[in-house]
Amino acid sequence: MNTGLTLAAEFETPSVEYRLLAPMLIVFGVAVAGVLLEAFMPRPFRHETQLGLAVAGLLAAFASVVMLAGDYSVAASGSVAVDGPALFLQGAILLMAIPGVLATAERKVDVGGVFAPAGSSTPGSPAERLLVAEKITQTEVFPLLMFAIGGMLLFPASNDLLTMFVALEVLSLPLYLLCGLARRRRLLSQEASLKYFLLGAYSSAFFLYGVALLYGYAGTVRLSGIAEAVSSEAGNETLLLTGTALLTVGLLFKVGAAPFHSWTPDVYQGAPTPITGFMAACTKVAAFGALLRVLYVGVGGLAWEWEPVIWGIAILTMGVGSVLALTQTDIKRMLAYSSIAHAGFILTGLVGTDAVGADGELLGVSSVLFYLVTYGFSTIGAFAVVTLVRDAAGEATHLSQWAGLARRSPVIAVVFTFFLAAFAGIPLTSGFTAKFAVFSAAWAGDARVLVIIGVIMSAVAAFFYFRVIVLMFFSAPAPDGPSVVVPSPLTTVAIAIGAAVTLLLGVFPTYVLELAGLASQFVR
Amino acid sequence: MNSYVPILVLGALSLGFAVFSIAAGHLTGPRRFNRAKLDAYECGIEPTPQPVGGGRFPVKYYLTAMLFIIFDIEIVFLYPWAVSFDALGMFGLVEMGLFILTLLVVYAYVWRRGGLEWD
Amino acid sequence: MNAVLLASPEVRGFGADPWWLVLGKAVVIFVFLVLMTLFTILAERRVVARMQHRIGPNRVGPFGLLQSLADGIKLALKEDIIPKAAHKAVFVLAPILSTAPAFMAFAVIPFGPEVSVFGERTHLQLTDLPVAVLYILAVASVGIYGIVLAGWSSGSTYPLLGSLRSTAQLISYEVAMGLSFVGVFLYAGSMSTSEIVAAQGDYWYAVLLFPSFAIYVISMVGETNRAPFDLAEAEGELVGGFHTEYSSLKFALFFLAEYVNMVTVSALATTLFLGGWRAPWPLSLWEGANQDWWPVLWFTAKVLLFLFVFIWLRGTLPRLRYDQFMKLGWKVLIPVAIGWLLMVATVRALNTEYDFDARQVLIYGGIAAAVLIGLTFVWDFVAARSRNAEPPEVTAEWDPMAGGHPVPPLPGQQRPQLTVAGTTAGSTTQTEDHP
Repeated sequence: MNTGLTLAAEFETPSVEYRLLAPMLIVFGVAVAGVLLEAFMPRPFRHETQLGLAVAGLLAAFASVVMLAGDYSVAASGSVAVDGPALFLQGAILLMAIPGVLATAERKVDVGGVFAPAGSSTPGSPAERLLVAEKITQTEVFPLLMFAIGGMLLFPASNDLLTMFVALEVLSLPLYLLCGLARRRRLLSQEASLKYFLLGAYSSAFFLYGVALLYGYAGTVRLSGIAEAVSSEAGNETLLLTGTALLTVGLLFKVGAAPFHSWTPDVYQGAPTPITGFMAACTKVAAFGALLRVLYVGVGGLAWEWEPVIWGIAILTMGVGSVLALTQTDIKRMLAYSSIAHAGFILTGLVGTDAVGADGELLGVSSVLFYLVTYGFSTIGAFAVVTLVRDAAGEATHLSQWAGLARRSPVIAVVFTFFLAAFAGIPLTSGFTAKFAVFSAAWAGDARVLVIIGVIMSAVAAFFYFRVIVLMFFSAPAPDGPSVVVPSPLTTVAIAIGAAVTLLLGVFPTYVLELAGLASQFVR
Repeated sequence: MNSYVPILVLGALSLGFAVFSIAAGHLTGPRRFNRAKLDAYECGIEPTPQPVGGGRFPVKYYLTAMLFIIFDIEIVFLYPWAVSFDALGMFGLVEMGLFILTLLVVYAYVWRRGGLEWD
Repeated sequence: MNAVLLASPEVRGFGADPWWLVLGKAVVIFVFLVLMTLFTILAERRVVARMQHRIGPNRVGPFGLLQSLADGIKLALKEDIIPKAAHKAVFVLAPILSTAPAFMAFAVIPFGPEVSVFGERTHLQLTDLPVAVLYILAVASVGIYGIVLAGWSSGSTYPLLGSLRSTAQLISYEVAMGLSFVGVFLYAGSMSTSEIVAAQGDYWYAVLLFPSFAIYVISMVGETNRAPFDLAEAEGELVGGFHTEYSSLKFALFFLAEYVNMVTVSALATTLFLGGWRAPWPLSLWEGANQDWWPVLWFTAKVLLFLFVFIWLRGTLPRLRYDQFMKLGWKVLIPVAIGWLLMVATVRALNTEYDFDARQVLIYGGIAAAVLIGLTFVWDFVAARSRNAEPPEVTAEWDPMAGGHPVPPLPGQQRPQLTVAGTTAGSTTQTEDHP
């Protein structure tokens, strides 16, 4: 009967702090406006308008991130944390997204751009040939990119696991689509997209199951609530450990850490190269941000349990990435394995939970933040260079085709060498300072064995980077080898930004290192 | 949960009736074998053999299904919102207005791109 | 702000009937629906016959009243054929899946207020849920499976196409239907059918929310696959649609499900928009009209009114073309429903927050919206006329075997002078080329 009736207390209007959420709101607003533009703007003007809108949106969002600096609190009823790591990573993602978007918008290197004229047309069909002949470009990529960036901004800032899951999906779904839209080698691209989607959905399921178990353990999805439950040791330990493990698996998949890395080479190879660069940089930043927050804020009290696991995964990831990269013959696959290896190096820094710097900053967090910035810019630059080496079939990605590239285009060869040197961690590049930062954090955190293994792995990794350099400078070029295309200013600027940041952070890292140190405190 | 039991009673009743009808139709009807009768009906011509389910459907139907899901999920959000509308007040109105506005953007896109045309 | 009634598992006053009462009510509902079906089939044939200056069936029983029953018995005596290519289990399951949900949807329809049956006080309603209308939608959606599976399992072209069409149609109109309910929930503050009827004491929602009502009535015709929206069984194109391969009582079950669904959507329209079992205006002046067993009469009368509208539509309107039909659903009903919903919500919020009397606004706004809907039709009509004003000029010469099939000349093309067969060698070679 009416015993089931319950009277709720007064309805509390949830608070939405629009100012604190401004970076994300701007990016999402631009994305929605982009969809409207797609609907109503005549086709000839779409590409330029979309590009301008996207870059303006990214700049505006970055400006709002800068204005929020130092103003740390939680927003949207506690589901979004606006704190040091979140703002630092948001700023980094936005700055990296600018060269990413610029490289994506390139239309001179390949007539009509890097994307298929219509994603839905059958590869090789008469319909597709007609669209190619009419030079139609798919401009939906800009809203898709902006949605992905919006999700990436929210991912490292989400303060509860449900928000984090929503952000994960928002950032992933556009990327799945973008991976399948390459203009050349469309079947490979579609295969990459499908693989990414299936494995991504699989990892989302892991993530969600972990969320469910942690909710079962703590009775809340809020990270601070989980941290409280962990410190009071209330509840079922099995739920906590299984939940944390599943959640971490979901995040490590996005990061591309072994043994959850298997999608990386295929997807990096099949996706349109500028998207690969964007994905390698920004997704990694966002995913590491989320991983940091879950491990430090949510289950920080459990560090004794998860540190050894991260240890193992870091060693495995560095090993798999460095060793398998040696065997690759395709430049994009090689860079993919290199990105796996770098995920391993970053995980090394994560282990230094107890490392506290001179000013009380968490070295584990700040070194990871710094590494992400350096790696991201170098990667975007490197992939942008890959788009320029072409033959009649499109990009020439086989390593043998890169032989003697220095004779054809010394500038490109030197720039690429510089990026590879940064990946290898040579002094005077940002890669060196970044590796130094994570290794010293791990050393201070008493993970000395890990550091030694890390250094050895860096040496192994350096070998295959230098193989490419040797190939470019000291081999005779093949007679029918690829040529280096002179790109439009868009790609040039993207490469220039990547190279400049790589150099600057190698020579004068102090400012950004200090900033990362200042930003290393989480809000709970 | 008592108020759900009557539904089960009515369900059992109608299910029983349906099963009974099918069984009864099997018993009361004559059975005269004729090969042509068992063929698929195709207006008198020799039926084209085809797999159960007819292979592939026009992609149009998938598009309709996806659009349906978008709008149905909107409705899923609208119902609880409508029931507790008075308690939510202006906040509810503004938030749902934003949500619907975003959906209308998608709707405009689909419309302009010909996703709603059927030809 | 006020205290809110949060999701309670049961609606006040329900779920406490003794078992014999539950069983009795269930049987009564079942019998009511079967009788309504038999009656509606006969009424449809008689009324349509009247509209077409015929007499209609009048031989079996007084006024032909037993005609439907006779048809049912005839169907039972027909051979039950399962085609060779059919997926047997699904083929048998489909009619069951179509029929059972059709009956189940009626469980939450209120026939009347609280009455006394053999000394037990009880509602004239099998049961009620806090999510009753959602339950009806859910159960009705299960019924769609029956149609899809029937077409899919038949292993034949026409049923498959018919079921696909039918499904696309049902889901398209379900969106508009679902949106039209939101206004009602907003005003009633509940999804329980008995509470929605109770909330219509002053104004029926058909008056207060007229556009919602109009959208619901249009979409309910689409939902039941009835003329002018009966594209799923367009005889000229698809033979019988999804039930082409069905015979005997299996076919009868689909027939039954269709008519039960008609009764259900009519009852839902009555409940949500026409005040349910409440007496209409002049009768409502008499106090006893809304008490005891009388409301069952008003309820049945309102349902019959809707059923008559169904029949009337069928007797009057030609069938729509499929693209016109989808266009009406996606490009007219959905945007109008959303726009109207936003307006209702705004007015309601102004009303509760700022004590702004809004009923007049809603009624006038409703009229304005209805006029707007009408204008879209006019605009569409004019646009179509201007589009069709000039037949497209075809300049290409007539190719009698274009695409490998014999085709007639298009407007503007000239048919060459026919020559007597056999006189030229060309014509014979041509027939040999294309046997």
